[in-house]
Amino acid sequence: MDIFVQQLVNSLSVASVTILIGIGITLIFGLAGIVNFAHGEFLMVGGMATWFMVGAGMNFFVALVLAGLLVGALGFAAERCLFRFTLNRPMNGFIMSIGLSVILQHAVIRVFNEFQKSITDPVGLVWTIGGVDIIAMRAIVVAVTAVIVAITYFGISRSRYGMALRASVSDRDTAELMGIPVRRYVTGVFIYGSLLAGIGGALMISLFPITPFTGSVIIIRGFAVSLIGGLGNVGGAVVGGLVLGLVDGLSAGYGYPEWTDAYSLVVMILILVLRPQGLLGGTLGRKAS
Amino acid sequence: MPMTDNSAGKTGATPEGVRARDRLALLTADNAAVPLPAGVQAITAILLAVLLIALPWLGLGYRFLSIAITTLYTAIGLYGLGLQFGQAGIMSVGHAALMGVGAYASAILSVQLGLGFWTSLPFAMALSAIVGGVIGLPTLRVGGQHYIIITFCFCALFVIVLTNGGTFTGSATGLDVGSVTPLPGINFDKLSNNYYLVLAALFLALAATYLIGISRYGRTLRAIRENEQLARSVGINVDLHKLGVLMVSGLFAGLAGVLQLYYLRHISPTLFGAFPSLYLALMVMLGGARYLYGPLIGAVVVNFLPEVLNLDPVDSRIAYGVCLLLVILLLPGGVGAGIKNICCAIRGGSETQVGGSNGRA
Repeated sequence: MDIFVQQLVNSLSVASVTILIGIGITLIFGLAGIVNFAHGEFLMVGGMATWFMVGAGMNFFVALVLAGLLVGALGFAAERCLFRFTLNRPMNGFIMSIGLSVILQHAVIRVFNEFQKSITDPVGLVWTIGGVDIIAMRAIVVAVTAVIVAITYFGISRSRYGMALRASVSDRDTAELMGIPVRRYVTGVFIYGSLLAGIGGALMISLFPITPFTGSVIIIRGFAVSLIGGLGNVGGAVVGGLVLGLVDGLSAGYGYPEWTDAYSLVVMILILVLRPQGLLGGTLGRKAS
Repeated sequence: MPMTDNSAGKTGATPEGVRARDRLALLTADNAAVPLPAGVQAITAILLAVLLIALPWLGLGYRFLSIAITTLYTAIGLYGLGLQFGQAGIMSVGHAALMGVGAYASAILSVQLGLGFWTSLPFAMALSAIVGGVIGLPTLRVGGQHYIIITFCFCALFVIVLTNGGTFTGSATGLDVGSVTPLPGINFDKLSNNYYLVLAALFLALAATYLIGISRYGRTLRAIRENEQLARSVGINVDLHKLGVLMVSGLFAGLAGVLQLYYLRHISPTLFGAFPSLYLALMVMLGGARYLYGPLIGAVVVNFLPEVLNLDPVDSRIAYGVCLLLVILLLPGGVGAGIKNICCAIRGGSETQVGGSNGRA
């Protein structure tokens, strides 16, 4: 039982990172209508930036915020310079994001190197609660994710900005006529999603080492999460992240660990074929006008 | 928006797109509705053929010839991708996996049953075509970005299956094969003979692409690409044609995969994973999928550019990425479209596209 609880906390902290990237993708894909294949690289860049700043003697939590801002700025630049030109040709945007991911991956290799990087546990505490050892950093990761999920969920579903955003997804022209600056919202969503990727990267490197190739692995899980949950559906992304984390945990413990990656791929193909709008319903992405 | 006079194509761009492209309107205009005069086409084809045939005799060295072989078998695979993307509008970022199916089929036949190059080739190509069709089944339900993600998943799955396949697929280390069974008087161990073998296959691929482009079949595919509902309503069996073109694309991929196998003599899963697939997509976008020589141009640029500029692998990959971004932003039709437009500017005519068409994918 103790081991089970410990496993649960550990899986939850890993699932947190997956949820963060899943939310970023679900917002950018579902609400801004951009398939950003470089999103995993954004996360990796966030992790690498954190590694660099912590290595330079900075406090981890300051580095986490800075990494989030840095990747948010990266997202802003990418949206302004690249994706805004392809909003009406999502296919071209998608191909372009592949190019961007190749560039980012190899730019990181060029600046640092291709070996894995890690930081020491920034908190270094272990709490013992009822005989269960819980690594404090893992609990913090889960807590940070929970806060972000709450902010995002209520921001999308309750605030007037979220309402305007959803309006512009369901009918772009009418939303524009109502005075909603749709283009600015697209940019805003893209920056917010990128910011989450940056924070996700910082949290990830506090849990386990990452390499410049981590992004291209995690992006698939991110897409799987957002598609399970339904595009643009924040709550769905959380459910998707937990389901995927659970499946991974179970398959690692009881199934065939070498096939772990295959499960999320098969799940994704099936969902894409059978329910392209996602299991729990979503927006199906912005319609090309 | 300034368009060249014979532009049958509406670019379908909204104001943002127009502004972005206006700056290079001349280069980016999509104006190849009318094919070039037959004479010009023939001269281009003959010049190209002569150049390619004469290549081993130019004394450019072993390394150059090796890269040339790599370029050519890649181009064969690209012609399949060019066909499905350029003509039917179905993009894939898992095409290397399809080449891998051909290569692995041939290698397994060689290891398990002792079949040589020539006998395993038809089986490998047929299997690639079948797999291409099976992977294509989702296109009947979903399109665009969703299908691209599916192809990427298939590609990643294929690598996992190969890696976990034990001795049958050689796991992560892969499989080895012997050399191509010699034909009477021709020994394919010699690099230049191997080159001619690949070149012959490339000519086949080129001829097939050309014939499909000018045929009724090609026109049907383009009709599906431009407007699926309309095509369906005039009685075209859209589903069958989509699967059909993906199977033809699989045939090309299988041929390319077997040629790759017998050139390298050793294959491993990483050759057919996500990265090679992405580079195939890059090459076909770079060259221009809709132009007869587009895929070849893409393969030549991507394979020879690092060599010419003397880049290390990391730098060259950054360069590929930058090229891809520039091509999509400035030349959505690929380098092929750029060359055609320059020709148009000079001749006031229009270069050859695979068949005539308008719009863009």
